Amino acid sequence: MSTVEEQLPELHFAGGLPGFPDVRRFVLVRLGDELSPFSVLRSLDDAPEHPDGIEFVVTHPGLFFPGYEPEIDDDIAGRLELASADDALLLVIVTVGDPVAASTANLLGPIVVNRHTRAAAQAVLGNSGYATREALVPTP
Amino acid sequence: MLVLTRRANQSIMIGADVVVTVLEVRGDQVRIGIDAPRSISVHREEVFRELEAANRAAASPASGALEGLAALRPPPERRSP
Repeated sequence: MSTVEEQLPELHFAGGLPGFPDVRRFVLVRLGDELSPFSVLRSLDDAPEHPDGIEFVVTHPGLFFPGYEPEIDDDIAGRLELASADDALLLVIVTVGDPVAASTANLLGPIVVNRHTRAAAQAVLGNSGYATREALVPTP
Repeated sequence: MLVLTRRANQSIMIGADVVVTVLEVRGDQVRIGIDAPRSISVHREEVFRELEAANRAAASPASGALEGLAALRPPPERRSP
C-alpha cells in the first residue's frame, strides 16, 4: 500500500457489513483515470478467507440509475448522525461481471457515508423492490 | 433453539432492552413488533442473507477484471442532467 493511499480518509462501519461483520475500517481509493465513475472501497481490517483484507468496487448510483432515490430510515440516519440528505454520500457496490459489461450494482444495500464524520453503514432496503444485482448498463 | 409459547399481545425480552411482541396471529401469518436500541439492526432474515451473499460475491474481484471496468461509462442516454 502506498503512502498516498494511507493518507486517504478512513471510513468507519461500526456494525461491519452483512457477510463481513468484523471488517469495519475502509479507505476509498480512486480506480483508473479521473473520469472513471468507479472507486475501490478497500478494508484496513482482514476477514476470514481474505487475510489481506477485502475490496469492493463502488460507484455513484446516480450516474447509472438516475431515478434511484432510496429512503434511508431513521435508524441509519440516527446511527450515522445525518442531519440532512446533504450530509450523506451514497455509493453502491458493484459485482464485476465477465465480461465487464455484465457487471451489476447492489441497489438493495447501498452504502451510506456521513461526509463529515466518515461514519458509514450499508443500508438494507427491505421492502423497496430493489435488487442486489441490477445491470449497470443495458444488455445489448 | 429456545422455544416459548406466546399469545397475541404477549412479549419476549432478549437481554434488557430488546422486546419482541406478538401483535396478531392470523392463519399462517404472525405480525411481530420489535423494540430495540438503534445500535441493533433488525432485518427480515431472507433479505439479510441475500445481502450477505451479494457482498461475498462482490468482494475482492480479480485485478484483471478491474482494468476493464475502469473504462465502463454510464450510457449517455441514462446520464443524469
